[in-house]
Parts: sequence; C-alpha cells; structure tokens
Amino acid sequence: MTDEHPALSLRGLAKRFDGKVAVAGVDLDVPAGSFYGLLGPNGAGKTTTLSMAVGLLRPDGGQARVLGQDVWVDPVRAKQLLGVMPDGVRLFDRLSGAELLAYHGLLRGMDPAVVDQRTAELLDVLALTDAGRTLVVDYSAGMKKKIGLACALLHGPRLLVLDEPFEAVDPVSAALIRDILARYVASGGTVIFSSHVMEVVERLCSHVAILAEGTIKRVGTIDEVRGKRSLEDVFVEVVGGRTATGEELAWLSN
Amino acid sequence: MAVELTAPAVPARRVSARHFVRLKLRVMGNNFRGQGRRIALFVAGALVGLWLAGTGFVLFATPGFADGGRYAAMVAAFGGGLLVLGWLLLPLVFFGVDETLDPARFALLPLPRRTLVTGLFAAALVSVPAVATLLALFGLVATAGALGGWSAALVQVVGVLAGVLLCVAAARAVTSAFASMLRSRRVRDLAAVLLAVAAALLGPLQLVGISALQETDWDSLTGVSEVVGWTPFGAPWTAGIDVAEGRAWAAPIKLLITALALLALVGWWSRSLESAMVGAASSGGARAKSDPTGGAVSQLFPRAATWARRDQFGALVAREARYWWRDARRRANLITIAVVGIFVPVLVNLGGAGFTTNSGQGFGQGSAEPSAGLVSLSMLFVGVVAAVTLANQFGFDGSAYAAHVVAGVRGQQELRARMTAFSIYVVPMLAVVSIVIAVVLDRPGWIGLTAGGLFASYGAGLAVNSFVSVLGAYALPETSNPFAMNTGAGVAKGFLTMLAMLVTAVAAVPMVVAAALLGDVWHWLALPVGAAYGLGAALLGAYLAGDVLDRRQPELLAAVTPRR
Repeated sequence: MTDEHPALSLRGLAKRFDGKVAVAGVDLDVPAGSFYGLLGPNGAGKTTTLSMAVGLLRPDGGQARVLGQDVWVDPVRAKQLLGVMPDGVRLFDRLSGAELLAYHGLLRGMDPAVVDQRTAELLDVLALTDAGRTLVVDYSAGMKKKIGLACALLHGPRLLVLDEPFEAVDPVSAALIRDILARYVASGGTVIFSSHVMEVVERLCSHVAILAEGTIKRVGTIDEVRGKRSLEDVFVEVVGGRTATGEELAWLSN
Repeated sequence: MAVELTAPAVPARRVSARHFVRLKLRVMGNNFRGQGRRIALFVAGALVGLWLAGTGFVLFATPGFADGGRYAAMVAAFGGGLLVLGWLLLPLVFFGVDETLDPARFALLPLPRRTLVTGLFAAALVSVPAVATLLALFGLVATAGALGGWSAALVQVVGVLAGVLLCVAAARAVTSAFASMLRSRRVRDLAAVLLAVAAALLGPLQLVGISALQETDWDSLTGVSEVVGWTPFGAPWTAGIDVAEGRAWAAPIKLLITALALLALVGWWSRSLESAMVGAASSGGARAKSDPTGGAVSQLFPRAATWARRDQFGALVAREARYWWRDARRRANLITIAVVGIFVPVLVNLGGAGFTTNSGQGFGQGSAEPSAGLVSLSMLFVGVVAAVTLANQFGFDGSAYAAHVVAGVRGQQELRARMTAFSIYVVPMLAVVSIVIAVVLDRPGWIGLTAGGLFASYGAGLAVNSFVSVLGAYALPETSNPFAMNTGAGVAKGFLTMLAMLVTAVAAVPMVVAAALLGDVWHWLALPVGAAYGLGAALLGAYLAGDVLDRRQPELLAAVTPRR
C-alpha cells in the first residue's frame, strides 16, 4: 500500500535562521528502494534539510512525508518508519555500546528479546564487540559513527536518513558501513545520505541531488546528473567554485 | 620575492591583557546579537547586581558615620571576610564560573603562561559580580575617608582593589582545581568529601555569627575581628581603617599579606590551568574492562533494578539513573543536595532555637524549644533546593536529546521517567535528612512532620521544574568542567532558579501553615498528607508539562543544543 508513495517526499521545505535563509524551498522525491546521495558544499543546507525531513527541526514552511505519512502532522507514525543518524549530535555517550543499543531499542518499543539478539549481531558485524563496557564517550570517531549507524538500524526502519555517515571515518570502517548500507538497500530498504565526498557517492548511489545555497540545483539518477563528465566536474560547475591560478598566496612557496 | 615574505619582517606584537578583555567583551556582545531575551536577562541581572552593590555600599559605609567609627574595623573584617568566603565557596556550590573564554581554546596559541594567566584573569574581572563587589566595597573607602581623611581613603582604595582581585582569583583557583579533580573519576569520592568539608566550614561561621548576635556586648568580638584582619580574609579591607585609627604601620603589612595571598592563588590557578589545557583530551579515563555479562538489555538496567519494566519507561528511568551517577555535572548536583540538605536545616533549627531562648547554653542539647513552623519551613527549603536541580534537566543531555525526538517519546512519559530516576537518588536522601533532623532536634516524634514537609515541597518542586525545564531550557557547554556555563546563561540560570524556587515555595506553603496551626494532630497527618500532596503535584505537573513538551520537542532540542 505504502509502496505507491515515495520513501521520502519533500515539498517546499524552507528555513531561515535570524533572517538568513538556510534552506529556500526544497522539493525532493526519494523513490522507495533507491540509494540517494545529497551532495553539497559546506553550509549548503544539507543538515538543515535532513533535520526538517525527520522531525528534528521545525520548518518555516513546506511538507515532509515518509512513505506517505506527514512528519509534522503525524510524527509518531512517520518516525516509526525512520532510522536517523544525525551529524554533530551527541549520543547518550555515557552508556556502553550495548547499553546504548538496548536503550534505543526499548525507546522504540521493541521486545527485549529481539533487542538483545539484534544488538549482539550489530555489535558483532560492526566489530564493536571488543569494546566491551567502554563508554561510547571514550570511543574513537569511527566507532562513534558505527554505533550511531547501529542505533539507526536497530528497529529495522524502512527509510534510513544519514547525515555525513562517512565523515571522519577511517577507510576500513567506511568500507564496512558501505557494505552494510548496500545490503540494506538490496533487501528493499531506502537510504538517503548527505556527503561532499564524490567518490563515495559515485560508487554507491543510484540517485543524486546537488544542493547549494539552500536550493536543489541538479537532481536525478546518477547518470542523468553527471552525463558524460565526472560527478566532480558537474559539482564544481554547479556550485561555482574557483580554481587557483598560482598567482595568489605566493608567500606559501619558499 | 616570495622568500622575503616568508621571513617575519615585523616582529609579532606583544599580546597584553587588554586583548583578552576586548575578546571577552566581543564574545559577550556577539552572544547578545539578535537575542532580545538574553539582553533583557543581562540587563536585569546587572540591575540586581547594582542594587546589591548599593546595599553593600551603605552597609560598609555606615560605621564611618555612626558611633564615631567604633565598629569600622569589625564590619570591614567580618563583612569583607564573608565576601571572600562567598567568592571562594559559592561558585562551587551554586553558580559556577563564567567560561566565556575557555582556557582550552588557547592551548594552540604561542602564548607564555604568564600572558595567558594575566589575560584570563583580567577577562574574569569583567563580570557583573566582580563589578558589584567592587562597588559595594567602596563603602569602606567612604568609611576610611570619614574617619581618617584622604590618606586613609587612599590606602583603602588600594586595599579594596587588591581585595577584589583576591576574590576573583580565589573563585578561579578553587573551581579550576576542583574541576580537574572531578574530571578524573578515581578521586570523585575525595571531591565529595572536600565539598562537604567546605560546606561544613559554613557551620562554625554561622554559629559564631549567631552568638555574635546574641552578645549584647559587641566589643568582645573586637579581638576576633582583629585576628581576622590579619588573615587574607580581612587584611585588604582593614588596611585603610588601620591608617584612620592611627596604626599606619599596619597598612603596608596588610597589603603585603593580601599581595602574597593573591600571588599564591594565581600561581595555584595557573598550575591547574595548564592541566586543564592539556588534560582535556584524556577526559574519559580508563575503565576496568570487565566482560559484559548477559544480554544488552540486562546490561542497561542496574543489577539492583532487575524488577524494573523492560519497556520504554523502564529504559528511560534506567538511562537517567545511570546518568545521574556517570555524568560529573549531574553528580556534582547530587552532592550539593546532600550537603545542603543536611547542613541548612540543622543550622537553621539549632541556631533558631538558640536564638529564641536567648541563652549562651550549648546548642543541640534539647534545652531549647524547636518550633514546628520553623522546622517545616527549613524542610520546605531543602525540598525546593533538591527539586530545582531539574530546572534545566534537558540541558544536561544537550543534543543527545535528539534521540528522544527521533524516537517520538511522549512528553508525559519522558517527564515521569525523569522524575522517577532522580527520585531514586533523592527520596532516600530526603528520608535520611528528615530522620537526622528529628534526631538532632531530639524530637523523634517529629519524623512525620519533617518527612511530610520534605516530600510535599519536593513533589511540588518536581511539578514546577518540569515546566521550567521544558519552557526555559538552555544549552550547557560541552566540556567536562561541571562548573562551566555559557555567557548570559549565568544570569538566566539564576533567574530561572529563583523563579522555580519561589513558585515551589508558594505551592508548598500550606504544609508550613498546617504545621504552625494544627499542632499535635498534624504530627501524625503530616507524612501521609505531605507524601500524597507531593505525589499528586508531581503527577499533575508531568501531565500538564508533558502536553507542552509534546508540542515543542524540536524547539526544546534547539534550545539545548550548544551553538558552535
């Protein structure tokens, strides 16, 4: 029934902070079963957009629907379908990894036996079992990302929204996260994640949207967006970056 | 050409304290930008500070113009000494220190430690409390001037300035040292004991104060005040008055005492500052890595709580309960409650009892008649202080609260769970307090009275603070220093705390009235009535505030997320 709806559908989402426009009306449809990359330079409004899409930040205008459920009208139904890993947000990091997962599972109203079993599996797959009773606050950056991902996956959501899942992650952990996400999509889930790392997006994604200055500049399947060029060229052109000529900062060279 | 540019053509300019002061003012100013509420709070705080400063000025200036200055030295020594003590202890117990300029942010800059310390010290002086203290103490200059003319006033100006420096240095040194102690988990028990001892120091002082009030002959205290005048607590304040009273030789010695104390404090601060700057990275500390036992869920729940429900409510309670112990900031609050809860009622009631009998007999021997009204009043105070800890309960979590928003936790459930977890620690504490008070007063029959008053005001406080925590939440900085606060938050915190305590006190006043009016019947009714009143108030508060919370979860999250 819900399969007729896109996994995530945003209409005219807008947000200003202190009179400054952060997001100026974003329309986006994330088809069910897609692996969606949200690209954009720093400060483009990626985090703001995703926060509004999952109910963490109240938009000034617009709609966000998860599989047809409006996030801001019926938050409880929508949030049940969602798994979220925000960026720059602390976890309840004075718990150990297992405690944190158990906490998230019970918060989601899951059966304790199921929580125990899935926690053990997730910790094992993500190579976090060795951490034992170490508190999450003492984890490395990569381990924190992995436990955050585990928290988002635990209740088996239909849609995963990940903000910068590959930021500050070492290559080994990044490969692990990539594999898990690919398996999740292959088994029918939908992923949307933000990033500014072109290689990851090109390797993983079926669809891409490029966000700059608070609006969507390009959107479509990855082949539609990049055409015959590399994604990086398209990105730099869209965002309007500059290239160094060699004249400036002459004092850098001895 | 490029080569020439790499050489530092101009030697780096020296960094002076002025830069730090300007940096602090700029940071404060930027914090206010576009935030009408913050500006209003700051202005209100400044006005309160000014009012207190004016009152203090009058108090300090009066002895110069009355009684021919007989009590000038005594007022200076005791009043000034109390201020130093306040600067020493209050930041630890209540207010925290302003960490607008976090020392850790300067760790990478090539600054000599001396520059850094003087700079941070100068910046610390730019604050409402410091300015208010300075203004109040200028009353002493008026006193010295009235008694001894210009020369005495001039010496007193130097003394007061040095004394205020001493106050600020004391506050910085103590909080900084204490913070780095609390950071390492191993010495947390020692820290708890130290805080208790520090608070216990207030006890003897209060007894001295009370006996001073009882003595009709104030002159007998002159000896004590003279001794205080030769310690760093009184030295800066009495130098000018000594000149006025013809002991000009004492002034330089007292100023020297002040300077030495100041140097020692700054030295101590600068040492702990260094460890704060480099030690911040290893704040976690190693834990014993015993193998986890059982499933994840049974690890989350403490072993003592195997009976707890394994559902959302149970998980919330378990996590909160663990946090009250594992988070240094929260633990510091628990310790404060324990210390205040025991000492304040004991002192108020014993002191009050001694006061009414107007005799020099020993305290706590049951010779005095404790009053039921006063006991209830002090219990009310303890309940209010305990509950007000939750006034910014969401601020403790910071952005981690996002997990609850994403999971869609109902507001009522959230608030009830938080109350329950906090009560797991506080209710036993309050029970102990009520028993201890009844025993110390030698009125074992009053346990019902003390416990009833405590639980009623605690429950009412939980309700009031639910609202405050939902509507007036603010972000705490993400540091491991339990005493750190954001700029402006200091004032905001003070106001919210005052407001919450006032409303709670009003809500619990019926218990005091009943205690005063109903007499013996109340001794038996107080416990059941008080407990029911408190429980009812807390549940009602959770119900109503939960509704508010449901409607403004994202706003609350934004309020407690520190701005970066």
